[in-house]
Amino acid sequence: MARLLSFPGTRRQRELALQAVFLSALAALVLGAALTARERLAAQGLTSGFGFLRKATGWEINFALLPTTTADPYWWYLLSGLVNTLFMGAVGLSGAFALGLLVGLMRSGRNPAARLLGTLYVELFRNLPIILQLFFWYAVATALPNPRQSIEIGGALVNARGIYLPGPEIGRGIAALSALAILAGAGLAVGILAARRFRRAAPLRRQSLAALSLAAGFAVAAGLALAFRDPATPWITHPRAEGLRITGGWRIQPEFYALALTIITYGAAYVGEIVRGGLKAVPRGQIEAAAALGLTAWQRFSRVTMPLAFRAMLPMLANQSVWLMKATTLGIAVGFSDFFMVVAGSINHSGQTLELIGILMAGFLAINLTLAALMNRLDRALSLEGSSMRPRR
Amino acid sequence: MTQTTPTRAVPRRRGLWRRLRHDYAATPAAALVTLVCGTILVAIAWTLIDWAILRATFDPAAGREACRAAGGACWPVIAARWRVILFGLYPYDEQWRAALACLVVAAVILLSCLPRMWGLGRLAAIWATGTALFYLLMRGGLFGLTPVNEQQWGGLPLTLFVFVATAVIGMPMAIVLALMRRSSLPGIAIPAGLLIDAIRSLPLLSILFTCAIVLPLVLPDFLIGEKLYRVVFGAALFFAAYQAEIIRGGFQAIPRGQEEAAKALGLGWRQRLVRILLPQAFRLALPATINQFVIAFMETALIVVVGFMDLLASANTAFRTGEWTFAHVEVYAFIAAIYFAFVFGLSRYGAFLEARMDAGQQRS
Amino acid sequence: MDRTAPAIEITGLHKSYGGFQALRGIDLTVARGERVVVCGPSGSGKSTMIRCINQLEEHDSGTIRVLGTVLDGRLASLDEIRREVGMVFQQFNLFPHMTVLENCTLAPMLVRRLPRAEAEATAMRFLEKVRIPEQAQKYPAQLSGGQQQRVAIARALCMEPQIMLFDEPTSALDPEMIAEVLDVMVTLAQEGMTMVCVTHEMGFARKVADRVIFMDRGEIIEAAPPGQFFSAPQNDRTRQFLSQVLGH
Repeated sequence: MARLLSFPGTRRQRELALQAVFLSALAALVLGAALTARERLAAQGLTSGFGFLRKATGWEINFALLPTTTADPYWWYLLSGLVNTLFMGAVGLSGAFALGLLVGLMRSGRNPAARLLGTLYVELFRNLPIILQLFFWYAVATALPNPRQSIEIGGALVNARGIYLPGPEIGRGIAALSALAILAGAGLAVGILAARRFRRAAPLRRQSLAALSLAAGFAVAAGLALAFRDPATPWITHPRAEGLRITGGWRIQPEFYALALTIITYGAAYVGEIVRGGLKAVPRGQIEAAAALGLTAWQRFSRVTMPLAFRAMLPMLANQSVWLMKATTLGIAVGFSDFFMVVAGSINHSGQTLELIGILMAGFLAINLTLAALMNRLDRALSLEGSSMRPRR
Repeated sequence: MTQTTPTRAVPRRRGLWRRLRHDYAATPAAALVTLVCGTILVAIAWTLIDWAILRATFDPAAGREACRAAGGACWPVIAARWRVILFGLYPYDEQWRAALACLVVAAVILLSCLPRMWGLGRLAAIWATGTALFYLLMRGGLFGLTPVNEQQWGGLPLTLFVFVATAVIGMPMAIVLALMRRSSLPGIAIPAGLLIDAIRSLPLLSILFTCAIVLPLVLPDFLIGEKLYRVVFGAALFFAAYQAEIIRGGFQAIPRGQEEAAKALGLGWRQRLVRILLPQAFRLALPATINQFVIAFMETALIVVVGFMDLLASANTAFRTGEWTFAHVEVYAFIAAIYFAFVFGLSRYGAFLEARMDAGQQRS
Repeated sequence: MDRTAPAIEITGLHKSYGGFQALRGIDLTVARGERVVVCGPSGSGKSTMIRCINQLEEHDSGTIRVLGTVLDGRLASLDEIRREVGMVFQQFNLFPHMTVLENCTLAPMLVRRLPRAEAEATAMRFLEKVRIPEQAQKYPAQLSGGQQQRVAIARALCMEPQIMLFDEPTSALDPEMIAEVLDVMVTLAQEGMTMVCVTHEMGFARKVADRVIFMDRGEIIEAAPPGQFFSAPQNDRTRQFLSQVLGH
């Protein structure tokens, strides 16, 4: 041992010294960086601190679920960006999970045509950089005809400026609140289904309670939309082209749907592989036992295979969710105002670099920790007590 | 119910027809799935062939109008713009150097795929030589080569440079981080763990962005350097955080007895590490490591966001100019083929290694 | 369903995996209420044979008739048969994500469409019969191997099958747990259940079997009542096998 480090004294003393040296070097590094930063910022005439958050921004963001104007302060912009990120994440995750489930099933089944299609899908989308896919979809979306030559598909208009869908005429804020109400209802329903407390209760009661909370979410959403509706406007407006302008209906911007499409298709390739792995992890004997009991193919799949496969893939799905949430930052490449793009814009305009980077990190840390906590809770609720099917950590 | 079903003719032969029926249409639902998937497959194949070959324009001299008239893919755009796509803003007359540099990287990657080369010393030597050669060719300034500033680098060589530099800097960092996190000394293990977890919880883009614009604020002047190197450092740090966890996983998978046996034989800390633990950890972590390389290669494309002319960005400029604005699909298809060839090749190689290792394990 | 047909009629049953012939021409008839014990060296095809009876394995040629219904690959006949044939596996195969009670009520509710209360009452009756009603709310992984196998038997019985198949039910158990499972099986046999058991428990065979069948290399070599089978085996291979199983 002494050959390595010729430090006098006992092993314990040497270990203490090593740690002390390492930690003080680390501290010196951080301190040095802080001092340099202060000096540089002073030279640029910037004061550090979070006071700028209350100043008006004076610049625009091109996608916002929350109503924003240039007079809004920075904190509102940042919050708006965070809401955009969460919304994109929710759309991307649910889409990727749904499509991924389909792809995974296709690859796991016996049908050669379905397997080939699934394999082609996975190999294509998984082996190309996600940002290349995003650029591709965005180029396709913006190369659509101009509004004058909009393509009409069943009442919807599609052109280079976006997709215009017929939709109820309600304000953006109310729409956001309604969406929140639906989300809360769905969240509560999932919570009830997964909660330990309700586990021993009869499944029927659990399911009806969950359905009730889901329905309540929709009811509140519908109530909000009805109560705050402008009585002068029609129930549903259809998009109409007036020269280069399109009026009425709901516009989905190319920035939004190109990014959503990218996250969904790319994510689905990975989720598909996770699903396939999960299905493979279900012991054959389980399925045989269900068959021997006379369960039909669908009953075997829905009651035995899928519940077990889902438990096996949960940790990987959790990782994938975090990954897909992080992928929303690609919005900056096409101009979707996600949290990261708003932070970057704020840095450009305010110069408060360090504070904003801090906020960015805190935001993503919060998102990741929330997702991890949710997944952990789900994992615990579903864990198989004492089972060896998946070692619990 | 009894006897109503006629007894099937006794020999149930597994003929071709029976097998086809069994595979493709065992039940009406299965037949429907076959039909739907088959239709989609045929439709995709036909659309692709029709667009890329049948109605495509191949004549390199053809312009926008000729392509429009044909209605299919417009391949002349590649003929006209391939040097911009592949080499970006690199001086036209010196582009042979960039091409040669790409070949060097390809050779390095191919060499390290040979199991014969798998030794810490050999791999380090290959990658160090390769990087040096690449740098010499690209940067110039020696042996009569005209100097070319990093800001003029672009296209495929830039993508490869970022990838190679990420791996060359990131791998040693990953080993060090993994060892630190495994350390029994909390004063070392905890900071390393915090750093790894913090980086893993952040998006790569935010790290690249931070390195591009925040590092100049906190570094002393002599350390700021070219933006390219700061961004590469960020990519390497990100790579290292993930790779460190992979290596740590490899360490954890080594049977406990290995280290105890080495200790009992009287090997010292460094001998145990270099001779016994690291080789086994790397072997166990090999499939995940190759996967991480694949991801790192795809992630180099993100540097376009912090303003570099990598392969993706040079492709963007290739169709943004004048005549070819309509030809984005052709250009993206071209670079997608380049990315795909590399990534697919590497991931197939990973799968092959994994299968080989599994077989080896069963034999032993 | 034919009330008079034999429980199981197998003629000329062949089955191969790739190039390996697992079964080559099995003929076997099991009468209602009959208890048949199947034994033989590993790889002799005994498991494959009973797995063909409820079509966990598809056979290549030959006919299998269960309770008078021919198994010809149609899904309707398959569903009908599996309802009437219970099976117990070597590895228990209890569903780990359901409680013992849920394991037992799943199939009666889904397949027989029993209301929950009735299914639970039936399940508790059979759990009492296998002597573990107190474990109803536990998960399989919380039970010992012997307990799990008894639950597996109860789960199969909850469908009130007419035939029970046992595929080496005690082979995965620790020695001290084998007795508790065999006791349950003996009770079942004494109540007149039609049973086909693949097992090496020769004591069990002596006690309850009406007929013992010896299989080797995919064929039935010998079939006889236990007294004759154990005291005067006709075939050399049977004698050799018996000396190995009973030898020590």
